[in-house]
Amino acid sequence: MFVSRSMTRKVITVDQEANIFEAQELMTGKHIRHLPVVDKANRLIGIVTDRDIRSALPYSFFKESVSETEKEKLSNLSVKDIMSKNPISISPTYTIQDALLLIQDSRVGALPVVDDDGKLTGIISVRDLLRAFINVLGIGEPGTLLCILVEEKVGQLKKIVDAITEENISFGSVLVARYWDEDKRAVFPYLLTQNVAHVKKKLEKLGFTLLDPMQWYLDQLPKHEA
Amino acid sequence: MNKTGFLYDERYQLHKTGHFHPEIPDRLPSVYNGIKEAGLLSKLVLIKACMPEMKWIETVHDKNYIQRFEAACGSGKMIFDSPDNQMCAVTYDTALLAVGGILDVVRQVMDRELDNAFCAVRPPGHHAEVNRAMGFCYFNNIAIAARYIQKNWSIERVGIVDFDVHHGNGTQHIFEDDPSVFYYSIHQHPSFAYPGTGREFECGKNLGYGYTKNSPVLPGQGDSEYKRLIQRDLLPAFAEFKPEVILVSAGFDAHMDDDMSDIKLSTEGFSWIAKKIVEMANTYAQGRLISVLEGGYSLRRLPELARNHVEILLNS
Repeated sequence: MFVSRSMTRKVITVDQEANIFEAQELMTGKHIRHLPVVDKANRLIGIVTDRDIRSALPYSFFKESVSETEKEKLSNLSVKDIMSKNPISISPTYTIQDALLLIQDSRVGALPVVDDDGKLTGIISVRDLLRAFINVLGIGEPGTLLCILVEEKVGQLKKIVDAITEENISFGSVLVARYWDEDKRAVFPYLLTQNVAHVKKKLEKLGFTLLDPMQWYLDQLPKHEA
Repeated sequence: MNKTGFLYDERYQLHKTGHFHPEIPDRLPSVYNGIKEAGLLSKLVLIKACMPEMKWIETVHDKNYIQRFEAACGSGKMIFDSPDNQMCAVTYDTALLAVGGILDVVRQVMDRELDNAFCAVRPPGHHAEVNRAMGFCYFNNIAIAARYIQKNWSIERVGIVDFDVHHGNGTQHIFEDDPSVFYYSIHQHPSFAYPGTGREFECGKNLGYGYTKNSPVLPGQGDSEYKRLIQRDLLPAFAEFKPEVILVSAGFDAHMDDDMSDIKLSTEGFSWIAKKIVEMANTYAQGRLISVLEGGYSLRRLPELARNHVEILLNS
């Protein structure tokens, strides 16, 4: 669950004296959007994003052909002029959950990972977190997702898991959406099988409601936050 | 009236799948009786199963996988690769007979002894990967048929249409790099159905990019959505690709009375699809069309669905 297991370790960095076109080329060539800026000792001193670079270029740069002199003037701009200094960074012992919440809160697309000595050891981006999420959902493996509506009381999940296990079906994952209708939760078992017709009938016989797939949702927020 | 082949063999019922499994031997008599009771048997060319040469299976599957399957079956194992793939002592032989029968039919169509054909085989094939059995499937029948055609006749473009309600992951993966085989599938959206592939953005890879097309259908949808998507996605794609022969993965599990999915196609909806495919075969492929049974689990509906399918092949 630690960031160190999911982050990119071979970080592509840039020197603060590099000009903005060098930084732009680096990002385009490597298909990345964030370049940590480090000093000679690999200590993090800033971060520059593709958006920082676009904002630094005049509108005319995208619209019209820019003269060589204009371009030369722009290339005097260096990374240190446009980078965010003292960017938010995290330590390798941050968890994936920490990173998810911090990225949501701080509205950044990536977090540099820095060890106790301030040295850059990795970077974790939204893309890395998505990969981890895909893994948790289990959707890389063939299977079928169900959605079961349950009363919010103890022991419901056990009944569901037991009923499915009795059918000799393996779980890819089980998601429980806590915030649903009042006093209700939604359980999403991802079953590693094509053969769900029988288990669906069995769950209905046990009194569970199987939701129409068109009514499924995952991102209902608690009312007070909405 | 066309000279339409009908591959059927009672030995296809020998593969047994155990309790509460939908892919049961009774599916085939259901198909057969529907065709028989409509008085169509005398109009069809009946073809029996036969064993294939192993080299054709090896054009798709790893040798090691084939051996693994044979050994698992011989050792009395009841499950192969995934719990969905329940089997018995003769499952391997039945799977071979399915491939062999289909290849024989393919030869007859390609040599113009038949105009087209429907192959009522078990086990189905479109989920089977190069080295993995999945979703009731062991050998990828349709993929082996496509390779067999390419290796024996000078055919540059094979079109595959898969209307089973589940995405044919195996077939897609086998041909995703290959621009000479166009794979089109229409199926229940993978976020709501097995196997979880066949998303709209899966379009093939490398040289094969643009030669795979998927039309995912949301739960609860039926005839009108199928018509809309087939007209939007399949017809223009094949008009451009111009397949010289069309192979069909014919699964009947999108029917509203089939509990394997949440798709609500009607019996007429299936006929509409079959007619469109046959029209394309007539326009681009000199009528050459080989349709192979995949899923379809409603014993009540299979008779009429198979009957209509075959009738359309006969009268196109």
